[in-house]
Amino acid sequence: MSTPDSELAKHLQALFGGLDTSAGFDARLMARVRAESRTDAIEAARHARQQERARYRRAVLELQHSRRSMLRLLTLDTLGIALLLVAAVVTAGPRLSREVMEISSQYGPYVAMLLGVLIAAVPLVGMWAEQTRRPIRLL
Amino acid sequence: MLTDARLMELVRAERRDEAIALLLPAFRRKVFGLAYSFLRDREAAEDVTQEVFIKVWRALPGFDGRASMSTWIYTIARNASLSALRARRPQSSLSDPEVMEAVEAIDPAPSADVIVDRTAILRLVDQLPTKQRQVIMLFYMEGQSHEEVAAMLAMPVGTVKTLLHRARARLSAAVGNVSATA
Repeated sequence: MSTPDSELAKHLQALFGGLDTSAGFDARLMARVRAESRTDAIEAARHARQQERARYRRAVLELQHSRRSMLRLLTLDTLGIALLLVAAVVTAGPRLSREVMEISSQYGPYVAMLLGVLIAAVPLVGMWAEQTRRPIRLL
Repeated sequence: MLTDARLMELVRAERRDEAIALLLPAFRRKVFGLAYSFLRDREAAEDVTQEVFIKVWRALPGFDGRASMSTWIYTIARNASLSALRARRPQSSLSDPEVMEAVEAIDPAPSADVIVDRTAILRLVDQLPTKQRQVIMLFYMEGQSHEEVAAMLAMPVGTVKTLLHRARARLSAAVGNVSATA
């Protein structure tokens, strides 16, 4: 003979023991997981592409910056060489022989003009090279 | 055999789909039962169960194994159920006609007395305080142990035993009253 408690337990087991999802739940869920997986892969690829673009943009900017720095350095370098030459001529001038002085006074203006053109040309050539080179295109 | 280590291995190998396919048979009913104990609506509980597994799938790479996989899944399931409960409009009841139909569907040919008894018991369960109702439902769902129910509801085992005892006593008394008045 069953006690009321065991009867109750039997009823409760019958009520809740069979509690489960409807048929096809697993298949629906796995289909959704696969769909989410595809979306995730697309999103990951998009993210990677974005990151790569940003990295490339940074590299291009760094390259442009470094080219400008080189150009500045070259200009200053030329200017320094010219100044050194002038200083050398001024220092060594009185000690040079008469023939050399005559030659230098004859060709001095041309040499000075050539130096001036050289100093002016270096940044101009640099700028021209910067403007005419193949532009770096971003991805 | 499904172990946390095996699951971690699959996650590390970026085989989350396989990990979910392993988790599903082990936890589907438990998660569904837990969601159902909160929501008391099969459809809503099924939606929550699906959401829980999708959340688990998404969060698997971040699972560090500090807690056990079951504890982690139950936490997600409880939070998802509570969110769904808050988002819900009118609250359904175990005594809803839809639920009654589901109950009758469990036993293909129950006698009229059995249907009356079960319907009455369902109504009584529905009237229990929330925690007692949840414990009763989860305990009798595929014969869960006290420990399992405690893990599912994040309660001490002692509390589960107390709640179960009180719920049973209340139901027994109520069933007695129903029988006496019938």
